[in-house]
Amino acid sequence: MNCVRKLLLAREFSAGRGVLRQAAPGRDLPWLQGSSCGQRFWLVPVRSIRSGAALSRFELVPSARGDKEKDRGPRDGSLVPLDELFELAHEGDRNKAAFSRALELFCQRDVRRRGHVEFINIALRKMPEFGVERELDVYNKILDVFPKEVFVPRNYIQRMFNHYPRQQECGIRVLEQMESYGITPNKQTKFLLLQIFGEKSHPVRKYRRLMYWFPKFKHVNPYPVPAALPRDPVDLARISLQRIAADLSAKVTVYQMPLVDISDAGKEITQPHIVGIQSPDQQEILAHHNPSRPVFVEGPFPLWLKKTCVYYYVLRGELLPPEEKEEVIDSERNFFYPMHLDLDLDRGPWDDEEFDVDEAVEGPIFAMCMAGAGDQATLAKWILGLQQTNPILSQTPVVFHLTPGPRELQAGSDSASGEEEIPQSWHAKQEL
Amino acid sequence: MALSFKLLDSVFLSRRCHRQNALHPLLGPLLTDCISKLYSSYRRPGTSPDNTPPWKMNFSFEKGVDVIKKNFGLLKKELVDHWKGPEGYHFDEYLLQQTRVVWEFRSQKDLDEWVVSSDAEIGGKSETYLKLGKNNQTALLYGTLSTEVPRDGETRYSGYCSMKTKLPKGAFGTKKYYDWSNFNSLYLRIRGDGRPWMINIYTNPYFSHQKDDLYNYFMFTRGGPYWQEIKIPFSKFFLSSRGRIQDEQYPLWLDKISTVGFTLGDKADGPFQLEIDFIGLLKDRAHTEEFAYEKYEKNPQA
Repeated sequence: MNCVRKLLLAREFSAGRGVLRQAAPGRDLPWLQGSSCGQRFWLVPVRSIRSGAALSRFELVPSARGDKEKDRGPRDGSLVPLDELFELAHEGDRNKAAFSRALELFCQRDVRRRGHVEFINIALRKMPEFGVERELDVYNKILDVFPKEVFVPRNYIQRMFNHYPRQQECGIRVLEQMESYGITPNKQTKFLLLQIFGEKSHPVRKYRRLMYWFPKFKHVNPYPVPAALPRDPVDLARISLQRIAADLSAKVTVYQMPLVDISDAGKEITQPHIVGIQSPDQQEILAHHNPSRPVFVEGPFPLWLKKTCVYYYVLRGELLPPEEKEEVIDSERNFFYPMHLDLDLDRGPWDDEEFDVDEAVEGPIFAMCMAGAGDQATLAKWILGLQQTNPILSQTPVVFHLTPGPRELQAGSDSASGEEEIPQSWHAKQEL
Repeated sequence: MALSFKLLDSVFLSRRCHRQNALHPLLGPLLTDCISKLYSSYRRPGTSPDNTPPWKMNFSFEKGVDVIKKNFGLLKKELVDHWKGPEGYHFDEYLLQQTRVVWEFRSQKDLDEWVVSSDAEIGGKSETYLKLGKNNQTALLYGTLSTEVPRDGETRYSGYCSMKTKLPKGAFGTKKYYDWSNFNSLYLRIRGDGRPWMINIYTNPYFSHQKDDLYNYFMFTRGGPYWQEIKIPFSKFFLSSRGRIQDEQYPLWLDKISTVGFTLGDKADGPFQLEIDFIGLLKDRAHTEEFAYEKYEKNPQA
């Protein structure tokens, strides 16, 4: 292997093409010290055996890192599984720098980038491990591993057939992973793809598809979730409560901040956070609630914000029986509306835009909260806090319907199955 | 005469569904265990094809009689509906309708019109269940999503849960479609848990190579205790085949709708739930868009 390479080098030297490379060992040339990953195809314009700058530097001026790698295991001339490159590259933690180092190691190994398809497949698989699956420049670096201009079809027959299908599929696979993580490619991706596969190749088409559809559906979500969710549980609760409240006038109240404290006796006191939300409408409904009927604290219900699941609790009333429905406000006394007229103004079916369906009706919702702990004591504090703005709660019995844990959230609405009902009426007045 | 044409039609058209169904339209009801295969022609890698000869199928005469009874009932209904007007509506009602409730969930019978599936059929670990919600007023689709890829060496992605309607069938297994050309929007009343869903509409494929075509659009749920009313114009639906969005886009044929389904595949492992109150159609006169996507050639051929 080594001697073959030497032979090839010698041949190139004799052909006079190595003039530039002879200058290469002098490390003061700036264009050699640049990215060793990028191949300098302009060095040798003819498609022959191209040994890039990386090779010469590697052979003639072994760097410190190279020495270390040689200590670890034989690399040159013997087989090293491609997986091990990633093990070699990361010394400390697995991060972006380690990943790019692995890519560089591969690029330095061989001028012809032999086995690059396998290497790219491995690299794509390793990306989530290194936490770089959402980095656009890492994807570009992966595409940079492909040798340039080799797979570009050069005549119409090549163009007609699927030229270098394995390499094209591999390129598509890179783009597909970008697609599945929602990464929009950029100009550099296009430049690389054009250089590697040429125009109208399958990867370039895939790129075009991405660039056509991604911007179309970029803002299609009416309830967007921020890309990075806040770490602070209170902020997270604020975001999610505002999302589910569906009311811009709803007010978020932080009833209790999270706190870890050590008391005088040396006991650790942890205080879970309690964040609640209530809109003016909900407040008004609660004010008109009949205090003899209990209100219920139900939960936890799940809410998904992309890949995180948070749980919320609801304070709700039961569905009123038909005879206890509130009377409609007398239309004569309402200032803003005239008399309630029930005229049949020759309305036909073309005006009827109502759905002929009995909508599922449920009890009213009075407030929602998110808490660090789902036990009854924590939620009781929430109810205590709510009493300050809703005095009626101090006269109303509160019943806690709490499911044992978020893991057994099955129906969420079915009170009969797997729900631990705590029939204890809890009068807040007594505790106050 | 018309009946015999319909039977012939069914012989030709139902071949796609399953081999056994193509045997004979009247023999079909007697063979009972082909239902599950009707909805999925997927065969897991590594499993051998099902080569059971047709005479080894389990015959159940009682069920066969039931099915034949049902078919004659359907035939009667078809004839009566035809006499009344288009699709059983009176003509003026049919023309002036602004809204129509297509599916509502009030009893177990309504749930029987739906098929639930998940990636368990390709070897994955997700689970899906469908049941009636609180007060028997809604449908609750729940389960767990798991993106664990089956270890069969071929499958690369996994993790979906879905629910779709059964193929509409006329009497004696003839094909039927929903004709929604009077409407231009889909209207849903749902309550989700914040996960994004996809609505899939399957239309009758004219050619067999279009049998995997689906029209899709997104359905984002807000989550929370409040119901959510979603209106999706049919012009927004884009064409995809085998899960890949297509370069050439065509508007949906509203008079050839076969099934409607929901799919969840947001790659987030964990439990999910979706409550559906009803699914309806709406004629939104303010919406004039015919098709939301460009129909010119977008990704030029070589």
